[in-house]
Amino acid sequence: MLKLMKYELRKTMFSKFILLLITAIAEIAYLIGVFFDWDRGLAIGLVGLMCCAMFGILYIGIESLLVFHRDLNTKQSYMLFLTPTSSYQVLGAKVIENGVSILLTGAFFAALAAIDFTVSVIYIGGVKQFLDLLHEMMVNFQVEINISAQSLAMGFFAILVSWLMMVVTGYLAIVLSATVLAGRRFSGVVSFIIYLLLGWVCGWIVDRCVPVSMVNDTLEFVLTIGALFIEIIVMYLAAGWIMERRLSV
Amino acid sequence: MLECREITKIYGRKTAVDNVSFKLEPGKIYAMLGPNGSGKTTLMKMAVGLVKPSSGGFYYNGKPVGPESRREVAYMSTEPYFYNWMTIKDVGQYYDDFFDDFSMEIYERLIQRMELSEEMKTKSLSSGMMAKLKIAVTMARRAKVYLLDEPLNGIDLLARDEIIRSVLEAAGEDTTLVISSHLVDELEKVVDAAIFIKESHLVEMCGVEELREERGKSVVDLYREIYGHGGEATC
Repeated sequence: MLKLMKYELRKTMFSKFILLLITAIAEIAYLIGVFFDWDRGLAIGLVGLMCCAMFGILYIGIESLLVFHRDLNTKQSYMLFLTPTSSYQVLGAKVIENGVSILLTGAFFAALAAIDFTVSVIYIGGVKQFLDLLHEMMVNFQVEINISAQSLAMGFFAILVSWLMMVVTGYLAIVLSATVLAGRRFSGVVSFIIYLLLGWVCGWIVDRCVPVSMVNDTLEFVLTIGALFIEIIVMYLAAGWIMERRLSV
Repeated sequence: MLECREITKIYGRKTAVDNVSFKLEPGKIYAMLGPNGSGKTTLMKMAVGLVKPSSGGFYYNGKPVGPESRREVAYMSTEPYFYNWMTIKDVGQYYDDFFDDFSMEIYERLIQRMELSEEMKTKSLSSGMMAKLKIAVTMARRAKVYLLDEPLNGIDLLARDEIIRSVLEAAGEDTTLVISSHLVDELEKVVDAAIFIKESHLVEMCGVEELREERGKSVVDLYREIYGHGGEATC
């Protein structure tokens, strides 16, 4: 599986390199703005970095679906399906690689934001102000952690499940398009409709399974996340099962 | 070893393979013969699980083909299929990562023999070079079964000898080779048996020696008989 993941990563290296390049340009603009007191550069850099972070992460998620579509619909599919790996492993490697890529990209932009913040505070505000601010932040951070650790975890799981749902629903729609709908007219459009429909059906099922007005919000959240996880696993297994039995590349 | 039982593949309204059954034995080299569109490629792809049959199936050592059988069955597609970003060295590394029976040493030797360079990008290779690369990476595996789909396509006369030599090096007592090609007379010199496919059906499967001794015919003669005079049989 690790070897599959290695090659999944390699397939998306080019777009990640482009993202890094644009980020570097925005970062240079930002730093020039900081060091040379150039407000316009500072603004361009800041907006550029924020766009890179948001659209970059979004694109990494979407690219995973594009790569999977290409893997099933071009002769390059032989590279995957001639290897002694099952469809479940192929899908699993794609999901994990994409998740790791998104996490690392998120961590990279968070670290970059922290560094940029530090640099600007030191340079613009001076060391004393920075230390005061750091002290103040540490005090606040302690308080914040105590208050919002739970909501932080809930936020993380909500994002994780939303992303998994998007990717796995997309994979299932692509698999259906390449198998059941293969060779039919408008299979792409139909698979996109299936993608939307699957999302709606999954939401509808969760609404039916989890009582709407539960007394305990946390329990309701946990049940919702649990139900969504089950749906994700079912869709993953369904996609793998269809690939094993019906997929001809 | 590798066996197909009543296998059928239907694409929409077209039947690509119709109720074909045969069994391949170890230690033999087979020629899979038939004009374009007769079903040879579909059969080979079903043997490695790239194409799923509509009914029937391929079995390797008694079990349906799948990820496990791909550990011992090597397939060379007639179409180029490597990732665009790959160099010839990357292709070897990829096979080395996934196949336990792959030998980097043999691969490097074959690459050298085929006059290719490891630094070449696959997307910039000519069709002849690509054919050589596909043969090199497939034959660098120590597989039990080799399925080679049109390995001599787009190859000049001199390079053909190199390819046939590389293919024959893999032949052994426990190895099965299946080669599909239009170059019937060239294949006849090296194969033990021939499988004739016509219009999705298996017409005949016979040993080359038996054909000569019992029926006084060559594979080329039988080919002309089955598919008509001239045409596909010319090289």
